[in-house]
Amino acid sequence: MAIEIPKSPEELPTTSPRFVGKNVNRIEDPGLVAGTTEFIDNFSLPGMLHCAILRSPHAHARVVKVNADAAAQLPGVEAVLTGEDIKRWCNPATTSPEGWGTYPMAVDKVLFVGEPVAAVAASSRYVAEDALELIEVEYETLPVVKDAREGLKPDSPVLFEQHESNVIHDRTHIWGDVDKVFAEADHVIQEKFRWNRCGANPMETFGCVCQWDVIQDNLTCHGSYQTPGFIGLGRSASLNLPSNKIKVVSHPHGGSFGGKGGPRGTDIASLLSRKANGKPVKYIEDRMEYLTAGGGQSWDRYYDASIAVKADGTVTGFKVDLLDDQGAGAEGYGTISVAKPLAAFTGCYRIEAAKYSLKLVATNRAPTYPYRGYGPPPHNFVLESLMDKAARSLQIDVAEIRRLNYIRPDQFPYTIPSGNEYDSGNYEAVLDKVLDMADYKKMREEQAKAQAEGRLVGIGVASTVEPGVFDWNAYATVGVPGVGVPEGVKVSIDILGNITVTVGFSLEGQGQYTLAVQIVADYFGVEMDAVRVAYAATDVAPPHFGPGGSRLGVALSGAILGACKKIEEKFRIVAAGLMQCEPEHMELMDGLMRIKGVPGAEMPIAAVAGAMLARSDLLPPGMEPCPEATYVWTAPGRNEPDDQGRCKSYLTAANATHVVLVEVDRDTGFTDILQYFIVDDCGTRLNPSTVEGQLQGGVAQGVGAALYEEYVYSDDAQPLASTFMDYLLPTVSEVPITEKGEVVTPSPFTPLGAKGCGEGAIHTTPAVIVCAINDALSPLGVQVRETPASPNRVWNLIQQAQQ
Amino acid sequence: MKPAPFEYYAPESVEEVVSLLEKLEDDDVEAKVLAGGQSFMPMLSMRVARPEALVDLSKLSELDYIREEGDVIAIGAMASKSDAEDSALIQAKQPLLHAATKYIGHRQVRNRGTVGGSFAHADPAAEYGAVATTLDIQMKIVGPDGERVVSADDFYVTFLTTDIDSTEILTEVRVPVLPAGTGWAFQEMSRRNGDLAMAGVAVTLRLDAGKCSDVRISVFGVNATPVRCTDAEQLVNGQAPGDDVFSKAGESAAQFIDEPIADVHGSADYRRQLVNVLVARCLAEAVTRV
Repeated sequence: MAIEIPKSPEELPTTSPRFVGKNVNRIEDPGLVAGTTEFIDNFSLPGMLHCAILRSPHAHARVVKVNADAAAQLPGVEAVLTGEDIKRWCNPATTSPEGWGTYPMAVDKVLFVGEPVAAVAASSRYVAEDALELIEVEYETLPVVKDAREGLKPDSPVLFEQHESNVIHDRTHIWGDVDKVFAEADHVIQEKFRWNRCGANPMETFGCVCQWDVIQDNLTCHGSYQTPGFIGLGRSASLNLPSNKIKVVSHPHGGSFGGKGGPRGTDIASLLSRKANGKPVKYIEDRMEYLTAGGGQSWDRYYDASIAVKADGTVTGFKVDLLDDQGAGAEGYGTISVAKPLAAFTGCYRIEAAKYSLKLVATNRAPTYPYRGYGPPPHNFVLESLMDKAARSLQIDVAEIRRLNYIRPDQFPYTIPSGNEYDSGNYEAVLDKVLDMADYKKMREEQAKAQAEGRLVGIGVASTVEPGVFDWNAYATVGVPGVGVPEGVKVSIDILGNITVTVGFSLEGQGQYTLAVQIVADYFGVEMDAVRVAYAATDVAPPHFGPGGSRLGVALSGAILGACKKIEEKFRIVAAGLMQCEPEHMELMDGLMRIKGVPGAEMPIAAVAGAMLARSDLLPPGMEPCPEATYVWTAPGRNEPDDQGRCKSYLTAANATHVVLVEVDRDTGFTDILQYFIVDDCGTRLNPSTVEGQLQGGVAQGVGAALYEEYVYSDDAQPLASTFMDYLLPTVSEVPITEKGEVVTPSPFTPLGAKGCGEGAIHTTPAVIVCAINDALSPLGVQVRETPASPNRVWNLIQQAQQ
Repeated sequence: MKPAPFEYYAPESVEEVVSLLEKLEDDDVEAKVLAGGQSFMPMLSMRVARPEALVDLSKLSELDYIREEGDVIAIGAMASKSDAEDSALIQAKQPLLHAATKYIGHRQVRNRGTVGGSFAHADPAAEYGAVATTLDIQMKIVGPDGERVVSADDFYVTFLTTDIDSTEILTEVRVPVLPAGTGWAFQEMSRRNGDLAMAGVAVTLRLDAGKCSDVRISVFGVNATPVRCTDAEQLVNGQAPGDDVFSKAGESAAQFIDEPIADVHGSADYRRQLVNVLVARCLAEAVTRV
């Protein structure tokens, strides 16, 4: 039966939505504020042991011998795990592409500093850490591959000996007649860029409590999992258990941003539990472990890129040559970060042809993981920097060169050269609105005045597309298996008319439980507090994926509306029977099942549900007494990638333009963000305050990437940023207060017209800040081409200009 | 990130502390004194520091005071940095110390961190180091042989090392009241608000018939200990205030620094540049306060 899902809030069965589209308070917040939300570190099981992991101090070494005898003897220690156990019980991590994963603990070689080499389960973390000091490991150090450029050299040491080189993936995509557009261009604007490694840093690191039932041979893993189903499948592969014998329980977690990771920690804690005869084992990753060897490192890139430009400023072609340092293998799915730009390769622009040459290289840095935005933020930094360089050389205003090249509103749905289809947008309206908010003309005048005084003041304008709602095909080009991304919920109405929504994902910070309640309350005409959201672990939840790729708001809306619609259909039949009319004459409106056109002929949905459960004698023949429904939503129209990787992958294309004013201190290279304006269009805003929160958080991470965050490595691949004293996250003092505005162009393809917006401003913020710094530096003739634009780096450029 | 095992003591008087430290020394037990723990606890948790015994001073309420003694402000070693920050006395009579205090970490750190702890820990990036050498703060140290007073110049030995012996503790810092007619400035550059400084400068000066006098310039965050830039002071003394002389002083101070610290946040050259800029800026700012 085809289920028709409302395409806009106006199509909901209510006179006027009371919650959808409104700034409602999040139902998640009281627990967070009061401290009653159960994060994994607050969770205990009887008899629980605590795990600590011994990690490699070397970036590349052969593990000659591990002697853990003394550790095993320490009072309080109940299990010790070494590479020997791992070899016996485990498989290497599955990766995309295949064959670039290691075991969760080194069995013969270590490939990065922080790689686990042994682990202990003991009565406390203190004892476990004491025991680690008693483990003797003999290493034979090997030559180190310090970065991607080294890894490409013919005489480079090879990390994965089953392969002949360190190149994980090498591919060139050609979309359209790129040679022709470059040959016919009036200008070719070319530049090299370096995006240094940065990544996700949630407030809470990864943690888990794993229990191996050694009698039934099944496994339960509680943890701060972003995608519990996917984690379960991975453990099935690594731990040699049938997938239905692994139960993953995702606890509310303090953010993830793609970096929560957890496969290694889960495997190690699970095997320690197995060795400790089934006692539960807790592993809480500490911040140094997270920073050196967790899921927080991403996007370590060298770019050589160019655009083809006509004399009038029309951009016709875009070529990107990307060398990407994946670190020690592909276990963290860092590879998907180079595939995602296909979903918005040419940004907001009508660029007709493009070329993307990729080399992904294994090195002795930590493995890379996804990070919010999943790859486009550096890509946008490259494209937007080139747009600015073109504007400068053609003497066109940076805002106007963008306007000139925008995809026009009447061109949607618009297929970009790399194959994805943008659903809708009005880029010029967004630009006009933000320029107006910023009073751009006056800003330029103020800048001219400041420049006349010798001050380095700059303005950045950057426009981007944020692909939303990823699907199975989005990362197929780098070999990600089609595990599917359905999102399923169950909606149940009890005998008193209270409603429960059962979902397969836990709290992560995006307010999805609130969204579920908003939609259900409007659909069935009840108050929000009559709706409860219940989390179901992987063993009982409907098919689900969870948050990721800016999909959950849209996917969850679709699933809930589908389930509500199914219940409505049942209620129509039941109420028609009770009210003695035909089902097609019944309608749901404002919480009442009523006979169309007959005032007063109505029943509250609670009465229908009650009758269904309590009075089988009143049910129409064949009607199941079940006022609940499960619906699994998936995006329509997703197709297989063609020979150049082209496909409809992401369902929605949100758009934003940011305008920022900065001042660079000529003497110290410090950048001060003076003003920051955002206008974005993510279609229908289901809970506007949540959208605003997503944007502001994305700005914070973008400020970090542009100015502060960098995983620095030494020449022997030792991590030099292993604490928050050296890996600098922007704080409330560094993140600007942004002035925000909106344009709403609903998606024609999604439930309620909403677009994915979970990755928010990080798509745009790094680009716009660096563009603004470059505008400030342009009188000196130097430009920032490397992130983060730290004071020392900017000062070096200024020095260079003065020589 | 959990500390290695250690013995824990929490004596209740300075006398008790000193005799305990003596006893531990006699027993060959490596002991470490703990005040607010804002620097030491992370080192302990990372097992970078692993003393056999920890002597916690938190019960020494006798050292928790800030009081005026003639032309000196006496600060008990266990007074918190927040108390120093909130002290009307310090704000009114020693604004340089007050300004520097606000740069130390964040309020949460200052709530727990003690004034004495900052001096005794002697982190190269500690704001109080440069304040001490600029103002010539006197440190009162108590040990088995009683009390002694050490001036700032002799107090700082090297990286995280002071003149305090293993059986002694710092009990009080004695900060001279800023004489009337003295200009001052304190500035530092850190990557983010509240971070350890890449470089910082404290300045005091006076004007005598339109010429600078009694100039004192100290720099921190660039060497193992705070550095008094006497050459730069000489350049400014006797000169009329002005951008020219101040930038010359900046350049002189920058050159005066021997092998600046280099780390992921700033190279040695960059730190030298920060010293250059900050000295000039601080001199100009100090003149406005005379």
